[in-house]
Amino acid sequence: MTEAGPRPPRRVAITGLGVVAPNGIGKEAFWHACISGLSGIRSITRFDASALPSRIAGEVTDFAPAQLGLTPDEYQHVDRGTQFAIAAANLAMMDAGLADPLSEEERERTGVYIGAVMACAEEGEGIWRELTDNGTRQFAPLDTAMISASLLMPHASAACIAAHHHLHGPSMVIATGCSAGADAIGQAYWAIQEERVDRMLAGGADSAISPLGVDVFCVMGALSTRFNEEPQRASRPYDALRDGFVMAEGAAVLLLEDLALARARGAHIYAEIIAFTSNSNAHHMTALPANGAPLQQLLRQAMQEADIEQQQLDYINSHGSSTPPNELAETAAYKAVFGDYAYQIPISATKSMIGHTQGAASAIEAAVTALALDQQIIPPTLNQEQSDPACDLDYVPGRARPTRIDVALTHSSGFGGVNSALIFARPDWTQQHGR
Amino acid sequence: MVDDNKRRVVITGIGVVAPNGIGKEAFWQATHQGISGIKLVRNDNVSAATWAAGSIPDFVAEDYVERKLLKRTDRMTHFAFAAMQEALADARLDIEQEQPQRVGAVIANSLGGIDYVMRQLQTLYTKGPRFVSAYTAIAWLNAANVGQAAIRYNIQGYCKTPINDAVSGLDAMGMATSALRRGAADIILTGGCEAFLHPLILQALSYQGQCATTSDLNAYRPFDRRAAGLLLAEGASICILEDYEHALRRNAPIYGEVLGYGQTSDADGLRIPSESGKYYARAMQLAMREGNVRPEDIAYVQLDGRANPSSDRGEAAALRVALGNELARIPLSVPRTTIGHAYAAAGAIDTATALLALKHGCIPPTINCEDPDPNYDDLDLVRDRARAMNERRVVLIGARGIGGANTVLALKKGS
Repeated sequence: MTEAGPRPPRRVAITGLGVVAPNGIGKEAFWHACISGLSGIRSITRFDASALPSRIAGEVTDFAPAQLGLTPDEYQHVDRGTQFAIAAANLAMMDAGLADPLSEEERERTGVYIGAVMACAEEGEGIWRELTDNGTRQFAPLDTAMISASLLMPHASAACIAAHHHLHGPSMVIATGCSAGADAIGQAYWAIQEERVDRMLAGGADSAISPLGVDVFCVMGALSTRFNEEPQRASRPYDALRDGFVMAEGAAVLLLEDLALARARGAHIYAEIIAFTSNSNAHHMTALPANGAPLQQLLRQAMQEADIEQQQLDYINSHGSSTPPNELAETAAYKAVFGDYAYQIPISATKSMIGHTQGAASAIEAAVTALALDQQIIPPTLNQEQSDPACDLDYVPGRARPTRIDVALTHSSGFGGVNSALIFARPDWTQQHGR
Repeated sequence: MVDDNKRRVVITGIGVVAPNGIGKEAFWQATHQGISGIKLVRNDNVSAATWAAGSIPDFVAEDYVERKLLKRTDRMTHFAFAAMQEALADARLDIEQEQPQRVGAVIANSLGGIDYVMRQLQTLYTKGPRFVSAYTAIAWLNAANVGQAAIRYNIQGYCKTPINDAVSGLDAMGMATSALRRGAADIILTGGCEAFLHPLILQALSYQGQCATTSDLNAYRPFDRRAAGLLLAEGASICILEDYEHALRRNAPIYGEVLGYGQTSDADGLRIPSESGKYYARAMQLAMREGNVRPEDIAYVQLDGRANPSSDRGEAAALRVALGNELARIPLSVPRTTIGHAYAAAGAIDTATALLALKHGCIPPTINCEDPDPNYDDLDLVRDRARAMNERRVVLIGARGIGGANTVLALKKGS
């Protein structure tokens, strides 16, 4: 170290986006759907859900793995969630202009962090059913033919992305409930700041629209049951008729990069990450307290870390899961933290269009937040029909809103009580503000 | 690294639940004497023979978890609770005196609450969806461990759940160290837990070449001519990782300091660790560089010792590259041979082993390597019997996982 003392930490840019979502695959299709307010929620087709009280989900349709660059080995031998992850990573690499092979040195300094909640659950359930004939007999001995490469490997998504692109930097899966994708992005941001790596593929992926995957949330009373006949109306964050979240599947992977490196190669910069912060409810496994106290603290801490005033926050992409208590707690937290300004910040919930994609959710929401900054448009919250008097903020109902956005925050509240927030800024804004 | 004046991270408490000992004292007594905790396990619901594995049949969950919570949590969480309780007491930490927002938890896990979810699957398919326990998700999913820990100890800070096959317990140490160095917390309960000794899991992992299925209690033989895979285990360990200044202020006992963490990937797909040690060597070098550790500082290296011939060759190759000529003077050991491999718990138990070894000045042995493979004649493997440690103060701990992850942690003996 020189006598000049510590250098400021490296800055981190988002230079590639890959999305596999129920309302669109690929950045263009997905973003078009989001700003057009197109829902990807429909009746469940992945299994016969007639015996369940919630029979709708955000399913990814028209997933064509070969077209998305997956090898036959990948699309024949790994589970669906892992395939989504690989596809999203491929899309992100192409979008970042890194389709040409990286040098060995670059690959040693590129890693993969992926968030997941129910990785390998659907496959595990499938093999359990086969071996026990749906629970009616003792376990039959396994047959090698039944075993996929990714069976019982919840870390497969990160390992397979690393293998696909020959990336020798750190890799892992993070399973902090619904904040998992944001946590993977946040940890990747730290890893670049700490100079462990120069680039990271970071995001989330999950696919568990199976009898077990859906029923575990049905029996908790967490899923929407009111709109089985009108699936697209079911996910309605902040609306008075909301009655639970909608199960979904998907993936999003972001290419994060040392800002100086991104600039040097002339990469398109969607946004710069200026804060990642995380805390824990210590209250309940699935719910925030009604006043949203941990979320209040999270928002304050994130703004402090980003070194911004509340009036500088132009957009919030919320957790907005469409469960009655969540949106009460969120709204209470916004009011407690922002005071009157809470009424002026546009807030929108991506889950209103695609449901809750589990470990992918907060990564998809990070992608939306980056795109909103890049395109200067806020995607809407769907299904704002009957206002809930306790949820009286500006949730950008129904229609996308072009507006100036310099700084945006996305936050998520996970299963297991973890809350995480990321703050992104437009690259010229950070430059103008002497950062 | 960015800042030489960054905060230092020390370990002030240890808790262990292992097949050869519940509690760190019992565990250390067994481990340093090379006493195995491998037993025959069986499950009458499965048409399969008995298997040798590191099970913990004498673990009494009721001793650590209140009755109501017991039914809403899985065995993995019970292990974690026992390890946490011991680690906090060992660290003489009155957690209620801490600022809750400055306390975190990072608990690794791989396969979630297997017992719990398998029982609920049976219910789902034989009785119907309405009969499934409302607590299934919160008992089964990996985040259950940090979530329940947070509620029990009012932990309101940084909480994470790494999943990374057999290396995630060490990754947890690395993540917590980063968070503490950045000032995101003062104290982090860090470790891993695993409870997956179900015959279905054993069979599946065995088919994937991940473990041996045998009734030979001594079958886990790394670097032996007969090496034919590892034996699985269950268990947990939690270490209290703490900001050094914070530990000093409260006069905490200090086992050691985390000097460095390195993680790389072979990036060769979902297969057992390869015979190329190239990226594993790089992980060792990264951990050493971060901690300013020279090979001549190393008291011993605690190996991954997977006991697959190709993985062992890769590990030896990595050691030769990373430690060079000094390798001949560095003792090596796989104390985990006494308990089997508990995946996400393993890296955490290995960390506890290394800290206890430093404390007692004693390198615990590798057992079952009775017919050493001559390919490793240049490796000084501590076999059969513990060996007194020399004056060096640093231990490297290595781990490799299916899918190519290599993680290395460098620890130094505390004050």
